Amino acid sequence: MIGLLLCAAIVSGLPDDDLAVSRRKVIADDGVALALYRYSPLATGRPPVLLIADFGFGRSAFDWHGAGLARWLARHGRTVYVAEVRGQGKASVAGWTPAEVLQYDLPAIAAAIPEPTFEVVAHGWAGTLALAASVKEWKGRVGKVVSLSTPAEFMVPSRLALAVLKNGGKIASLGGDPEGAHIFELLFAMNGLFSRDQLSSLRSEMVTDFGPRASRALLQWMTSGDLTLGTGESLKARLKAYDRPTIQFLGLANGWANPELCGVLREVSAAKVKLRVFSRFDYLSEDYSHLSLLQGENAPREIFAHALKFLNEDAP
Amino acid sequence: MRAAVIALLLCGCATFHWQPLPATAQAHRAKTADGWELAMVRYPATVPSTGRPVLLVHGIAANARNMDLDEHHSLARWLASQGREAWTLSLRGTGDSDEADGKDRKSGYSFDAFWQLDLPAAVDFVRAMTGAESVDYVGHSMGGMVLYAYLSQGGQGIHAGATLGSPTKLDWGTNSEAMIEKGFGFVPDGWALWTAVGAHAVVGLQGLQAEGPFERLFYVTGNTTVESWKRLIAYGTADISGGVASQFVKLVVTANFVSADGEKDFRRDLAHVTTPVMVVAARLDRLALTPAVYDGYRALGGPKEWLLISRANGALAEYGHMDLVVGERASTEVWTPVLQFFNRHAAKDHP
Repeated sequence: MIGLLLCAAIVSGLPDDDLAVSRRKVIADDGVALALYRYSPLATGRPPVLLIADFGFGRSAFDWHGAGLARWLARHGRTVYVAEVRGQGKASVAGWTPAEVLQYDLPAIAAAIPEPTFEVVAHGWAGTLALAASVKEWKGRVGKVVSLSTPAEFMVPSRLALAVLKNGGKIASLGGDPEGAHIFELLFAMNGLFSRDQLSSLRSEMVTDFGPRASRALLQWMTSGDLTLGTGESLKARLKAYDRPTIQFLGLANGWANPELCGVLREVSAAKVKLRVFSRFDYLSEDYSHLSLLQGENAPREIFAHALKFLNEDAP
Repeated sequence: MRAAVIALLLCGCATFHWQPLPATAQAHRAKTADGWELAMVRYPATVPSTGRPVLLVHGIAANARNMDLDEHHSLARWLASQGREAWTLSLRGTGDSDEADGKDRKSGYSFDAFWQLDLPAAVDFVRAMTGAESVDYVGHSMGGMVLYAYLSQGGQGIHAGATLGSPTKLDWGTNSEAMIEKGFGFVPDGWALWTAVGAHAVVGLQGLQAEGPFERLFYVTGNTTVESWKRLIAYGTADISGGVASQFVKLVVTANFVSADGEKDFRRDLAHVTTPVMVVAARLDRLALTPAVYDGYRALGGPKEWLLISRANGALAEYGHMDLVVGERASTEVWTPVLQFFNRHAAKDHP
């Protein structure tokens, strides 16, 4: 048994009459407590969708005071699970590494989902691990995948990102002064359409610091160009076997999971990857950044709708 | 009569922005193996020489003035000021180079003519005129693709190169690709797409609408000025040969960067390139998207370097497609790293 389901509790009284939201505490094999939220619509005939946010973000990336992909998908008839792996939201631990997330957390999360198969929305660097999990830890359980800027080639995204990681990955503290806020915007929210207050509250309340151990591990992953998994495998080698039907959305203004690092997924994997690069020339309201892909003012119309259309298409 | 008046007004509007070349510019003509004369402009170094001459090649629907817009926006003159003799080239059918005459110089030539005939002629000409064994090279957009094709097929005489916003794949599910497919696809063989005429027609409209379609596609407002942009489209544009257009349509539809007959796979053969190349991309380039440019970097054999111009990497503004050559700070934020790359490789011998 990879993980142990400890308890289920109704946690949400948020205003969706037909939407029950519950949280489960899931314990990974190494004892770390994770969180799994379930959004249950009244009627659904499709597989559930598991949402994995990038490191430093958590459930709130998909459900920010009622706004976001979790409730949007649920309102469109999908059962939705949102995972919080170590370092995210309720699952925060003092130190973590990406390899541990893949080795312990993702198997435990999947074990806590009762449905035999599920679809995945994967975001950012943590999302890349979800893609990798579909090859082994989640083998046979994953249907389609929506990739929201999941890197498939690994390098430090920018000099600014390097400086932030070298400084312990204090991304939640970036809003403390104008310079920090500017850095946050360049990395995660460049040219995004948020109201000023919304971005400010997203920055201060949604994001979690990586901490020194995770920062070192992320930096090692990015600078070495690969990640050694707990099994001793290479992540790049694992991704070669990735074969899930995938649609990949890339924001041109993404400064954390750069589109050029993500777009190579179709080159390095066995998957059939449908690509959409979003930019303002595409009659879209913005060029889309790491955060606005999830919480941009027009994301429901310009991003979520395309994701759902893909998920609802019958497999060829 | 009304049409003639409108045409005159449009031409007048475009002419209003004209900037002549300086007295230091020396006009030359190189002849290709198939008899076309190509316009080249030489800028001798204005300080003691610091290295090889640099050949500059423009992109699609453009001419040499892309690399030499005016006193303040000229990669050519900037290189000369840094001790590098600079040569601009107008590819066939553009700028002051020969146009098709329907007799000896057939219209409808493809992209292959650029790398198979024009570039070898230009490289040989510069080598002959300067005595240099090899040249360094900067190509913007399609000008970088010309370098890729040339090097991938064993082209000689380039010591080191830099490509600025040069894609090797155009299938990213964007509207700019749909625009190429639909806009270029209808041009009959032997015809040309009148992009220069179209550009001249809209010079007067530029800057009237904040963040209009041209700004969105080609440059970032605040990085390139409206006046620079007007100059660029007034005298830096050219028509597109039907053969070139159809080759770009194929690039969009098939995602294969290949010769017109499909026999030569440039992208695949880039793996054999040993000439050092710096690949430069702009974060907000909505025409040559960063993934499209990075694809070329991945395909190159090496030595190679990747340079992403963005505020997160220290630039003062984000860059779009044309900002790389006419942006207000391009000399410090784009051209300087390129020159440093050339200098790093200046003394090295590469197999």
